[in-house]
Amino acid sequence: MKILIKMKSSLKDIVELIIQEFKTIASSYSILLVLIGGIFIYGLLYNYMYQPNVIRNAPVVVVDKSNSKLSREYTRLIDAAPQVEVYGTAVDFIAAKELMKKNKVAGIIYIPKDFDTRVNRGEESIFITYAVTQAFLYYSSIQEASAGAMLELDDRYRPNMVVFLPAKDVLQIAAATPISVSGTPLYNYTEGYGTYLIPAVIMIIIFQTLMMVISMISGKERESGSIRHFAEQGTTLKRVSRIIISKTFVYCILYSIFGLFLAGLIPIIFQLPNIGNSYEIIMLFIPYLLATCFFGLAGSVFFTDSEAPILMIAFFSVGLVFLSGISYPLELMPWYWQATHFIIPAAPGTLAFVKVNSMGASMADIQTEYITLWIQCAVYFILACLAYQYNIKKAIK
Amino acid sequence: MNEISKNSSPFYSVLKRELIRMTSRRLYLGVCVILPLFTVFFMVTIFGTGQMENIPIGIVDLDQTATSRNISRTVATVPTFKVTEYYSDMESARKATQQKIIYGYLVIPHNFESDVMAGRQSTLAYYYHYALLSVGTEIYGAFESLLQTLALGPIVTEAVALGVGEEQITTFLVPVNTQSHPLYNSSLDYSIYLTNPFFFVLFQVLILLTTVYVVGSEIKFRTADKWLEAANLNMFTAIVGKLLPYTIIYCIIGIFANYIIFGVMDIPFSSGFLPLNLATILFIIATQAFGVFLFSLFPAIGIIMSVVSMVASLGATLSGVTFPVPFMYPAVYYASFLFPVRHFVEINQNLLYGNYGFAYTWQNVSILFLFPLVTLLMLPHLKNAILSHKYEDID
Repeated sequence: MKILIKMKSSLKDIVELIIQEFKTIASSYSILLVLIGGIFIYGLLYNYMYQPNVIRNAPVVVVDKSNSKLSREYTRLIDAAPQVEVYGTAVDFIAAKELMKKNKVAGIIYIPKDFDTRVNRGEESIFITYAVTQAFLYYSSIQEASAGAMLELDDRYRPNMVVFLPAKDVLQIAAATPISVSGTPLYNYTEGYGTYLIPAVIMIIIFQTLMMVISMISGKERESGSIRHFAEQGTTLKRVSRIIISKTFVYCILYSIFGLFLAGLIPIIFQLPNIGNSYEIIMLFIPYLLATCFFGLAGSVFFTDSEAPILMIAFFSVGLVFLSGISYPLELMPWYWQATHFIIPAAPGTLAFVKVNSMGASMADIQTEYITLWIQCAVYFILACLAYQYNIKKAIK
Repeated sequence: MNEISKNSSPFYSVLKRELIRMTSRRLYLGVCVILPLFTVFFMVTIFGTGQMENIPIGIVDLDQTATSRNISRTVATVPTFKVTEYYSDMESARKATQQKIIYGYLVIPHNFESDVMAGRQSTLAYYYHYALLSVGTEIYGAFESLLQTLALGPIVTEAVALGVGEEQITTFLVPVNTQSHPLYNSSLDYSIYLTNPFFFVLFQVLILLTTVYVVGSEIKFRTADKWLEAANLNMFTAIVGKLLPYTIIYCIIGIFANYIIFGVMDIPFSSGFLPLNLATILFIIATQAFGVFLFSLFPAIGIIMSVVSMVASLGATLSGVTFPVPFMYPAVYYASFLFPVRHFVEINQNLLYGNYGFAYTWQNVSILFLFPLVTLLMLPHLKNAILSHKYEDID
């Protein structure tokens, strides 16, 4: 009976704390702006920006010194490649370079004078590609297009080259079959940049906005002194843990809706990869949101007013993409950044989401990240309680 | 405070007042010095050596013959790869890719050797991770160049056996060949490619937010009247005096970052340090001006901080370093011109790639100069907003 009454009173306490937290969020424009602007506008805007997804028709200029049937055929093949488009056939290299300096073209294809005659003599003929590396995507597009055109041209001209081989051997050599090579990209059906980056960005947006909301709320509590109200029922760890649980409950309720929008709806609207099992995505979101909430609440020791935390949080988003190992392999980073990967919830959370959502991984495949997130939950829950206890005690002093 | 304004010029009193404010809170030390230096450290170290080398891959050898083992050995010599796993079936290789144990794998099919010997069609298939696009691209490139040579192996062997020279047969097979020259970043090094632009992308986030915060905190903490009083009600003096200490700190950090990136890390650059540093200083001032401009639009700190944090994050995309901006939708492309960081990246690329000269960057430079000018037009509005006191309680 006694236990029941005790449970009832602590439940009542939690319910009151929850209502209070909802009120705080609903009455602050800046928090609502982070939630609505950060989640909905940013989520949509980001997708809109990366909708073109792949580079089509990057401009290249051809310097055709050979000016022969063969060089013109090659130019046509380059132009026909989807990745690039021939901007023009500049007469000389200086003019071509000028176009490059003016950012009119992303690459120069130089066809030397003897391009045609070398082939006719039975020698290997070479053309040279110069490509800018401002953005790696430019370079790889031009590379792919020029290599593709080369293979095509080689296939066409190989029969003509037979005359340069000893006549008696031709038949036998021609009978040998080359090995065919086939490469298949996995898990990114459009081979696009957006379809690669946005699933990761979705998780980072969730982390960043949630961190901002938590820090703004807890910063404001300390700034306005409203944190003192929590002390009315004591500052025991038990009571503080109820505060932490109530706050986390509110954030998780809100973010289950936002998560549904970002991870559920956005991939459908923008046709992003989403081959993941919804059940597994939900199972992943539980420790991800909890760990993020506790991480943010533990960070409240540093948040002294409602705006200052944004200064410290906002700029981490790009770094978090790197730390997740999505854009650059974790294995190649120095050990201390690999270790940091396991400390901040966004890094394993993002990686696990990309695995489930884009690669169709199962729970067993994300074991490392999943366990990491749960350990983070436990550690940051304790730290969050201690942080809040410290903050409250400091405020009532 | 009053004493200062009586005895010295308004500019000096604003400046002195700001220095006292700055040193009174540890926050400023954090966001003006520690975080930028952390960012330098982060961007300089995160890519390791910068080369995508020793990427773990797997081999599925279903043939288990001398030929297939030979191919495996050849694959192992490619510096991009590190063959960490051997599989006896495709399913486990695919599973390992899913778990990110390996980033790609090569499949040598059943009866590969006998098919090659008998002149029957045989296929070498490779798979690469493309949910992780940048690693995938590296693996694709390495496999392509390796396997294209291997593919012609049977013909070359046949011809050489018949007494035809190896060079002659290669010419027969590949009459037209290509040479690629990636300009500037010839080794396709990730730190050369990303460290410099991304440091400044992160730096601009800090500059924008700090600028908004230092101006906005006057309104927030109800000290704006004293601030304007110190400036003798001259808004220009008030803003310049206030932001100047930050400008100086940022410039020192920016120049230090240039020194670390180009001096210590040896990232190639075609110009001297002077133009690089001048561009950095101009960029810092333009970014501060952009921050003041955004704040002046609606000087309620809580709201504008949220907005600016989102605007600043867009800078990462719109700087054009990841996906080239000209290939985004026109609306996004033109919007990118509104971000100082975009112009700065263009100027910097000109300086780094070949120092083509001012003739190719004057538009970008001019636009960076425009940011402070346009912001000046907003100052009367900001002054009215401060004096009206109506933005103080919005949060």
